[in-house]
Amino acid sequence: MGVGDESSASPQWGMVIDLAKCVGCDSCTVACKVENRTPPGVSYNVVLEEEVGTFPNVRHVNIPRPCMQCEEPPCVGVCPVSATYKREDGIVVIDADRCIGCRYCIAACPYGARSFDFGESYEDEMQGANAVTAPDYGKPRGVRGGFKAPIGTVRKCTFCAHRLERGEEPACVETCIGDARYFGDIADPQSLVSLLNASPRAFHLKEELGTRPRVTYLR
Amino acid sequence: MTTTHLTSDATTLSKDATTTAGDRTSSRNGTTARLRVMWYAVLCLLMLAGGIAFYFRMTEGLAVTNLTSTTPWGAWVAFYIFFVGLSAGAFLLSSLVYVFGMYQFERIGRAALLSAIVSMGVALAFIGIDLGRIDRSALPLVFFHWSSPLSWEVRFYIVYIVLLSAELAIAIRLHKGRSRSPIRAHRRLRILGTIGIPLAIFGVHGGTGTIFAVLKARGMWFGGLFPVIFVVSAMVSGTALLTVIHYVQRRGTGQRPDAGLMKGLATVLAGVLCVDLGLMFYEFVVPLLAFQAHDGEVIRVITLGPMWWSFWIIQLLVGMIIPVAVLLTPRLRARPGVVATAAALVVLGIVGVRFNIVVPPLIPGVLHGLPSGYYVPTLIEWVLSLGLIAGGAAAYSLFAEVQPIHDAEDRAEADAEAGAGAKAPEHTKEASA
Repeated sequence: MGVGDESSASPQWGMVIDLAKCVGCDSCTVACKVENRTPPGVSYNVVLEEEVGTFPNVRHVNIPRPCMQCEEPPCVGVCPVSATYKREDGIVVIDADRCIGCRYCIAACPYGARSFDFGESYEDEMQGANAVTAPDYGKPRGVRGGFKAPIGTVRKCTFCAHRLERGEEPACVETCIGDARYFGDIADPQSLVSLLNASPRAFHLKEELGTRPRVTYLR
Repeated sequence: MTTTHLTSDATTLSKDATTTAGDRTSSRNGTTARLRVMWYAVLCLLMLAGGIAFYFRMTEGLAVTNLTSTTPWGAWVAFYIFFVGLSAGAFLLSSLVYVFGMYQFERIGRAALLSAIVSMGVALAFIGIDLGRIDRSALPLVFFHWSSPLSWEVRFYIVYIVLLSAELAIAIRLHKGRSRSPIRAHRRLRILGTIGIPLAIFGVHGGTGTIFAVLKARGMWFGGLFPVIFVVSAMVSGTALLTVIHYVQRRGTGQRPDAGLMKGLATVLAGVLCVDLGLMFYEFVVPLLAFQAHDGEVIRVITLGPMWWSFWIIQLLVGMIIPVAVLLTPRLRARPGVVATAAALVVLGIVGVRFNIVVPPLIPGVLHGLPSGYYVPTLIEWVLSLGLIAGGAAAYSLFAEVQPIHDAEDRAEADAEAGAGAKAPEHTKEASA
């Protein structure tokens, strides 16, 4: 038991991604799509690939990008109906039954971590694709189609909140072939993520915006 | 009718009466009737097409648009801010009459109020069809979020529509001569208009600019200048629209446009256009000289991207430089036809402005490695837009048919109608009884 457990009622989830260990295999993206059953055009996690420098001094950098679960999320502030909010454990979620689909939050997110569900489906490629409900809202929504949520609303990464409830890690963390992703309670100073957060290699995306992401990268 | 109203109109009316000979009126009435049928026929056709597009929008959702998660806002949001701007601008123009007592604009006072109300309605319709869940469009009134400009806006829009409707009702009653106390009615108009000015500036259009100005994630939106530009360009578009409406309504009904009024509108339009140009200069020059990569990327999309022509040709040349040049030339400014054409160009240019506000900041990917967007509206987006605009024009025209929005006909026709209108005093009696 860490000190953090006494000061805060719930764990504060955070993620650390070691870029030196990431090989850019996109397994996390695939695991995420499978786990959250996201439709075409919606991907909670992507891997950004960048080539830095000019030949022969070139370096290939892969940056996996889930939702940053910011401490000061710009997306939450602009929602006109408070459909998106920060949970007690620090995860930014969307109430799919309240979202009006105005997409203001998509325009507000500096990380491109939000997607609109236009209602597309993999049904043509995969039989029964519509029959599986997206689990990320923690409630059964039946067969996909029509005007039923989450179609017509905004969707995002929830750190696999439904898995955390069962005591499991997010799908992207579990699947990572190089163990590049670490997940844990940043309120606990002894947790692995807290120790890694203190590393001199640690940085955050777009730190200058003051969003204070809960996803830390190790360069 | 009030004394001020009579005196201000008397000079212009008599000028019109002398130039419009009685015998020409009958042939003009023929063309007028035909023009009117054509006008409503075109509007009906456009609304019908829009209705079909709306059917696809409802059955297939936003998949009928070319929007993506990279470029989540497009034509409908651009038209939404376009019509909010028209509304705020038209209302501010009406306040010149009802608040500041500039009675040379009295003739378009009611037209300005009506077009402000109708434009706001069209704007709400545009943002309504743009929602992923139309069925939840009332939720912003149920759930409030203090830090969301959009949440405030929805409430301001409603207060604004109610206030403008009350003002228009009083103005119409006053015009019909049904107000028991014209002086009190004038005072009420002034009070409502005075409340309306900050509401229109900060609540309605400055607030709409704030929706974008708070988004630090995207280039060119974030900043304090943005809401100010919104308000000024609203004045530009509102004044231009009223100029076009006055000219077209007069010509369409076989009357001469009020030369003095057109000249006054031309002067106001030239003034606000110059201010708008000046603000635009700073909007571009400050981030460029600061070498802000974020904003520079968006400026590159605006000026050199695939839609460069919408900025250089429609927004700048057609919408600003040509009209400014025309309106600042005294000889051209004195010709109502030229002024109306310049004003129509300005309205068209502002459509370009609105598209260039909404779309380009949503084109570059927010992180290196994320795809950049490309957006042109689909046919369904265009047709549904035209349908909604036609709906607004039809609502305006129909309301103007049954209520005195435009000042009555020429003196000759007004006299002819005076006999038929003998019942009017009885109505007044009934109303007061």
